[in-house]
Amino acid sequence: MAKKLKGDYFYLTANDLISGNVLYLSNNKWSKYFDDAIKIKRNEVETYEKIALEDEKKCIIISPFFVELTDEGKIRKLRDKIRKNGITFEGK
Amino acid sequence: MYKYSEKDKKLLKNRTNEFRFQVERRLKGDLTEDEFKPLRLMNGLYLQLHAYMLRVAIPYGELSHVQLKKLADISEKFDKGYGHFTTRQNIQFNWPKLTDVPDILSELESVEMHAIQTSGNCIRNISCDHLAGINNQEVEDPRPWCEIIRKWSTFHPEFSFLPRKFKIAITGAKIDRAAIEVHDIGLKLVKKNSKTGFEVYVGGGQGRSPFVAKKIKNFLEKKDLLNYLEAILSIYNEFGRRDNIYKARIKILVNELGQKKLEFLINDRFKKFKNKKLELTKRQIEEIYSFFKLPIKKTKKSEMPQENDIEYNQWLSQNVIKHKVEGFSIVNISLKPPGKPPGDISALQMNELSKISEVFSCGELRVTHEQNLILPHIKNSQLFQLWKKLKVIGLSTPNIGLISDTICCPGMDYCALATARSIPISQKISNFFNDYSIQKKIGNLKIKISGCINACGHHHVGNIGILGLDKNGEESYQITLGGSATENASIGEIVGPSFPENELLSAIKKILATYQKNKKNEDEDFLSVFRRIGISEFKRDLYENPLQR
Repeated sequence: MAKKLKGDYFYLTANDLISGNVLYLSNNKWSKYFDDAIKIKRNEVETYEKIALEDEKKCIIISPFFVELTDEGKIRKLRDKIRKNGITFEGK
Repeated sequence: MYKYSEKDKKLLKNRTNEFRFQVERRLKGDLTEDEFKPLRLMNGLYLQLHAYMLRVAIPYGELSHVQLKKLADISEKFDKGYGHFTTRQNIQFNWPKLTDVPDILSELESVEMHAIQTSGNCIRNISCDHLAGINNQEVEDPRPWCEIIRKWSTFHPEFSFLPRKFKIAITGAKIDRAAIEVHDIGLKLVKKNSKTGFEVYVGGGQGRSPFVAKKIKNFLEKKDLLNYLEAILSIYNEFGRRDNIYKARIKILVNELGQKKLEFLINDRFKKFKNKKLELTKRQIEEIYSFFKLPIKKTKKSEMPQENDIEYNQWLSQNVIKHKVEGFSIVNISLKPPGKPPGDISALQMNELSKISEVFSCGELRVTHEQNLILPHIKNSQLFQLWKKLKVIGLSTPNIGLISDTICCPGMDYCALATARSIPISQKISNFFNDYSIQKKIGNLKIKISGCINACGHHHVGNIGILGLDKNGEESYQITLGGSATENASIGEIVGPSFPENELLSAIKKILATYQKNKKNEDEDFLSVFRRIGISEFKRDLYENPLQR
């Protein structure tokens, strides 16, 4: 999970096992609201990785990973931005 | 249409119950995600960017009005009120809950549908010419052969864990509408000395290493089909690479061994097979054929209505083609209205179309691999009435085969593998080239868009192919020219460096300008011009002057 991460700050994200919804780790729980997400420092990654693996075992979440942030604290990758904001087109 | 036997029904029921139990075990923690993942994939359930995605099989693209109604119900009850038809004649639901999936499978089972063979390293859903059995140019209806192969391949114990997924397509016509030459196995029904059999193509495919299939058999007798397929699959199973996922498809084996060596191995294996139970008897073949009888008889009393409505006449000339039975037409329904995601259909549209199909088309529909639908048996005299009904539900766009009829994968808006978005590109194209007369002037043109190198949007075989890439964190689009998935298939050539999203439309306009100035006459289409003049002039025109935005 933590291999090859770029940058100094991250969010921890996953999908809800039952609904598949995108979740972010907030204070001690998983939230579907991005605004609740806690910023994780590089030296905290291992600790949070353990939390994610534990919650995976408890059948709360699946597919956890860290979202990389830029120096300005913004989400670095387009995929993660789309995952946060939802589909980008209109016309559904 | 094929009707399930009691054995088929039981098989499906057991499978659904089995999956229900597996989901329960997963939720209780008795199965880890690593253990559960292959089981859910075998039932068509993926995890995508935002949610789970369930891919439902529509074997050889044939759908009844009852089945379409059920898909509409499922999309309303368990999803967000729409479905997405794929480039392999299946349908996807993008937002199901894991706990609902066993119920969805039960609902599907009630109308003889399922999600088997839509994922995993097995023989996937067999795809077919969408005009099978209703067009004038075919040797024979290929659908019974799709069904024969489906029966043989479903849960085949030896071929459930192949090195990689395996796709088979069949056509019965000279004109290839099923893209057989870019499938792992392509079958074409042909006639030789008054006998009907198959030409066999192997090793076609797209993805990161695209290949056009090699013809390895000029004529295979019908009775030998399953034994021959068994020979190909067992050779692939034995020699196909399992050490590298990117080199595991049969196309790589064909390329590494060479065509002659592979032919030798397959033919040798075929000769050795003493498994006579796979040899098809005339009675077995006839029994399957009996399910595919045409539900209509010719009628001379069915003239096409003459109306002065411009839109109706555009639709008539673009979307309606001749049926092999006199007095009837085949109606193409475009799922590419301007600005809409290609292949998407709402629950309301599915519901209405189901009713329309029941009233106008003997309750039958077809799904095309180009993400459109077909009403296969429409009385000529009812065309105007039908058009009015389709127009009300937004399904009368007259653009079949034109520039706005793009094939497009879900791209990064949905897919966890994608490197760029593809639907917004398709929308830009269909919005810009919305005008019918402009599209007609451009002529027949297939634009195919993929959001990554896996090529679900078939960009390699687009006359103009667009591949979305991630270039240092920015979306960038590479253009290929001259691809084709029809008979004489070809892989498109990369025209040059990729374009950022905001320059892509200008690039396409430039490519079209090069085509227009080189056209010898009004009928010469884009692909013919490209094959005649080659890529150089397109490249020069595209890159020598800065793009006009």
